[in-house]
This record gives sequence, structure tokens and C-alpha cells, in this order.
Amino acid sequence: MELSVQTKNIVEDAHPEEGFQAMRAAGFSCADFSLNQYLLNLDIYQERLNGFFSQSMEELEAFFLPQKRAAEAAGVRIHQMHMPYPIYVPQASERVNRYLWEEVAPKSLRVAKFFGCHNIVVHGFKLRQYLGSEEAEWAQTEAFLDAMAPLAVECGVTMCIENLYDGFGGHLVEGPCCDARKAAERIDRMNEKYGAEVLGFCFDSGHANLVGIDFETFLTVLGPRLKVLHLHDNDGLHDLHQIPYTFAKTRENRASTDWEGFLRGLRAIHFAGTLNFETAPVLTAFPEALKMDALEMLAKIGRYWAAEIEKDAEQ
Amino acid sequence: MDFVCAPAGIVDARWPKQGMKDMQAAGFSAVMLDAALGHPARLMEKGKSEPGMKAFLVAAKDSGCRLPLAMAPNLLPETKREDLAGRIEALAKETLAECVAAGCPKLVLHPLFAGIERDALWDENRAYFLRMAEAARAQGVQLLLVNDVRSVNGHYVRGLLASGRAMREMVDALNEAAGEDVFGCCLDMQAAGACGQDLYDFVHEVGARLQAVLLTDTDGDGRKQLLPYTLAERGQSEADWLGVIRGLRAAGFDGLLVLALRDTAAACPPLLRPALLAFAKKTGEYLAWQVGMEREIAKYPQRVLFGAGRMCRNYLLNYGKEYPPLFTCDNNPATWGTEVDGLPVKPPEALRELPEDCAIFICNIYYRDIEAQLRETGLRNPVAYFNDECPPRVVLEKMEKRG
Repeated sequence: MELSVQTKNIVEDAHPEEGFQAMRAAGFSCADFSLNQYLLNLDIYQERLNGFFSQSMEELEAFFLPQKRAAEAAGVRIHQMHMPYPIYVPQASERVNRYLWEEVAPKSLRVAKFFGCHNIVVHGFKLRQYLGSEEAEWAQTEAFLDAMAPLAVECGVTMCIENLYDGFGGHLVEGPCCDARKAAERIDRMNEKYGAEVLGFCFDSGHANLVGIDFETFLTVLGPRLKVLHLHDNDGLHDLHQIPYTFAKTRENRASTDWEGFLRGLRAIHFAGTLNFETAPVLTAFPEALKMDALEMLAKIGRYWAAEIEKDAEQ
Repeated sequence: MDFVCAPAGIVDARWPKQGMKDMQAAGFSAVMLDAALGHPARLMEKGKSEPGMKAFLVAAKDSGCRLPLAMAPNLLPETKREDLAGRIEALAKETLAECVAAGCPKLVLHPLFAGIERDALWDENRAYFLRMAEAARAQGVQLLLVNDVRSVNGHYVRGLLASGRAMREMVDALNEAAGEDVFGCCLDMQAAGACGQDLYDFVHEVGARLQAVLLTDTDGDGRKQLLPYTLAERGQSEADWLGVIRGLRAAGFDGLLVLALRDTAAACPPLLRPALLAFAKKTGEYLAWQVGMEREIAKYPQRVLFGAGRMCRNYLLNYGKEYPPLFTCDNNPATWGTEVDGLPVKPPEALRELPEDCAIFICNIYYRDIEAQLRETGLRNPVAYFNDECPPRVVLEKMEKRG
């Protein structure tokens, strides 16, 4: 089982070799390429399109070539990517949403292909407040995925929907793709339609923890549709993206995130994929001098988990 | 739809009379028989003496308050007592007996969890609920299962019956085993709120099985029971009132709405509590009105609107096809002779031509002012208020073009 970590806060565009080498040295053979850094969500919401994805594919490939080479030289495989998000803004202008649909999304798929990456995480549309139900919301996300699916097939990329959250005031609540059974049915339906694995699932442990999802049940229902992971921890109230086992809520000081359930779930489905840590904030929380130690700690947790998951397979 | 007050935070099980009077004075005619008042989890778990429900039941009877719903005691999700499942079942049976004696037709039961292995939860609870059903059926009491949480070292996550689907499957399995509809369900917004659940989805899944809703404000921590709309941040309530109202409305919910404001009431000084409860009743009435909005519209054979602005548009968007109004009116002469999304706008005088059973739905926030205006002109038509704070949907035109 391989270990992966998010490139954000590790790999810099100016000198990517350093970051990928550090990843490898810490114990990660794979990376989650933070493509979403090139058009940030805050900018999308405020309709500040920076033009990055206006470049031609030739220009984008030229831009990313140093990262690709640096990853290869370090022996780091780009296992997954994150498409910029949101990919639809209900209150934004037609210009912005058209740009996201017609430029950002397809070019993201092509960038994934350029990197030899077979999984890209896509955020579902957050429209429940407007459309009244999760079913109506999914219909819009599905229309987008349907539009991208032929290109996904061409690029050999699986689009992975992710369990998200929404918010009322400061209270984070379930967002798109928080029902594993619905997700499984929808993934199967789309893959059957295209005769290929165009759709899969990205389980985000932090988001799941925020909305009290039962990890074991969720993962067990997803089964082989689970393609990639976003692993991180939080206090159950805020999306903190911290090191697993960090948080406790009682005097006994035992982890308040159900990591045992998580491991049971992955064992139950005989997960043999990549354990990916979405933990960029960890690396800014710790002082620069401890950054590598933090990264190595994440890898140690990953190795521990891999051993725990694979233990059952061996028995 | 019946409107009930949950007594936690208001009534002391040992000296219940004042709390009972306060609820009555606020206008509540129905109270929940909350057996947790007499058997608090913290006392049970410490093995201390529990006050019991005798005084409460006497006070309820003396006050003339109806008891349309009861709730059996439960343990705290984070309990360390793995030996109390038997005690909980015994208390559930005791509460059932109290229901029968008090003429209470519905009893809420929490799933058992303490000391039960994860893989055995479904079967053990199925057996427990069926044991309860034997006695309940004979006494004509309906058992309502309630959504639950479990504790992961103090962090609340979804329990056995948290999801609408699991709840539906359990209720249906039990009713099939029992051979009749002994079981329904209850939505606890506190438990659902702890897990940030989609309340519309939950209600949609359980449909007509939903017999009661515990209305409360809470946050992601899940330990608070507050007056609706009082837990707010950045100017927004932290509970999904829009989702639950939409869900209940779409389901045609006509069951029990239970106002649960334990922590708001308990924190409120006793001298201010009567005023709080009166306001709480108003809040509950507002929620009931929102839930029943479509039923209110459907009540009348014909209707017109009053108001030619955004609220009129939202009426047409959400209800215009199924409950088409004849026309709308407005006090602004500049709108007369125009149309709002195809609906003619007429002067208020046009209302005189209406048959008397045609309702006038006010689509403007100056409800009372406009109603007074209409009555002053001698109109005897039913006058109702429409409201678009919780519309079923808001269509985005851009999406319609692309989709």
C-alpha cells in the first residue's frame, strides 16, 4: 500500500525538485497534486478569474513540465489531483460559470492525463438551498459529470466525487455526496452508461467527521467505488486538516475521531489503494524547522495504518 | 398537526406545579410526558435515587394538560455504564404503563446501545422493540423510534437509526413482524443536528412513518436544546430550519410538533420564564404555520393574491401551477394593468367582485396593515398570509438553460 500527501505547502513551482525529494525522503511515494491552487476557491466565489486556465494546453503542459519531471526524478507518482472548486457558483455570472465548465474542468482533466494521473477529485454542486432537495442538487452535478465523462474516458481519468459539507452560521452540516448508498448507485449508473470507470469516490475523513458520518458503514457501502482518500483530522466542529489522532474531547484523552472504524471499513472492503493525507495546514501550523518531522509523522501514521489494513489480508 | 411543549428545563419532576402552570399560562394545552425528568441519566448512571414521574403525572392531570406524547428515559451517549440496557428496558415498560394510565397514545423509544456489540445492535434492538410492541399493541399505544447518536470518546456520530433509510427499514421490518403498524418514528433535531444531517432528506425517506418532531436549535456539538432561532452566528441560525420546514411541508406532515427548549428555559431566570414560554409558543406557531403553508393554500377552492412584488413571484414559482390565483392586487397604482409573471395586477377594488369563499393571500410583509385595510372596506373573504422565507425552491435561470 502506497502513501501519498498533498503537494500544497511542500512543492513550490519555482523549485519543485526540493518538495518532491522531501516527500520521498519522508516516506511518500505518491502525491496528491493540488491543481486547485492555481485558481483558488475564494477567487472563484468573488469572480476573480486569474486566467491561469485560459492558457492553451501546450502552455499548461510547458508550465507543469518541471513539476512532472521533478516528481519522476524523485520517484513520486502523481496518484490523484484536485480540480479547482467550486465548479459552479449559483450566484455568479454566466461568464464565470461558463469558464469553469468549458475551460477549467476539461483542462484539469487534460492536465491529469499529462501527469499520468488517473484520479481527479471533483466537488459536487452546492445547490440544495436553492433547489430544495439533495436529489435536485445531484441532478445538476450529474449533468456536469455527464458533460465531462467522454473527455474523462479519453484521458483515462476517473472523476471522484467527494463527501462535502455546507454551513448554517458556524454549524457545519452535510453537503453533497454524504450518502454512501446514493453515491454507490450513482457511480454504478454512470460507469455502466460509459462502459468505463469515469466516476469513483473520494472519502474525506475530516469532512465525514464534521457531520458525524459512521466511517466503517460509509466505507463498507462504497466498496470498490472508493478510489482515493483525503485523510486528515479535526475537532468535529471545524475543518482543520490536522494530523490524525490529534483531537480528544474527554478526560480520558482518547481520539475523538473514529480511526478504528476507518481501519475496519478499509479492511472490510480489502482496500489496496493509496493512503493520501490532505494535510497542508499541518505544515504551516508547525514551525519551518519541524516541517519535515511533521511530514515524517504523517508517513509513520500511514505506515501504521497500512500494516493494520493489510494485517487482515494476510490472515 | 398538534403542538406540544417538552417540559425539560421548565418542570422539576419533584415540584412540577409551577412549571406546569407556566406552560399553561403561555398557552400550551399539550405537554410531553418526558420520563427522563423522573429518571435523569446522570442519576441512573451514578446509581443514585431517581425522583420518578408520580408528581409530574399528578400535576399534569390536575392542570388538565393533554399528554399526546411520551418519551422513555435514555442513557447519555457517552455513558460508561454498559450494564444498564436492562434498566432502560424496564423504564421503557414503566413509561408505557404511565402512558396507558394517562391516556397518552404515543411513546418515543431510543435504541439500546450500552454494552451491545456493534454487529449485534440491529438484531438486539429489533428484539427489544418487538418485546415492547407486545404490550404497546394491547394497550393501543404507538411506539415511535427516534434517531440517535453514539459517542466516539465524546464526539457524537450517527447511531443505529440516524439515517432516514435505516429508520425506514427498521420501522417497516418491525411493523411487518408485528403484523400491524405499531411503530412509527420521531425526528429529534438535537441528534440530527449533532451530525449535521440533511433534515429534508430524513423526512423524505421516512415519509408518513414520521409522527412527531422534536423542534430545537442545536449546533455541531449536539449537547444543547435551545429555543428555535436563538443559536445563531453571523446572522444565521445554526439549525436547518429551511430543510426541516421544506421536508415536513412536502411530506404533508400532520403529526406532533414538540417544542424542546431545555437549555434556554433552564438558563432563563424563573421570573422571566413565563415571558419566554409565551414567546416560545409564538415561535412554535410560526413553525407550524410554515409547515402547513401548502395545506393552508389548498384549503380554499379559489384564491387571489395581494402584492405584486417578490413574494408574489415566489408564490407563483412554487404554487402557481397547482394553486393558480385568479389575479393579484397592489396598493401601488403604477402596477395596475400590468402582469407579474403572467398574473394580472388589479386595483384593490377588484376584490369586491370575488365570491365570498375566495381567499385573499397577502403577499407582503405588511400583513396586519393590509388585512386591516381589507376589513375596513367591508370584505368578508377569508384573508390568509403567504410567506416566502422558506420556499420549496428558488430557481436559478442559468442552470435551467444549461441543464
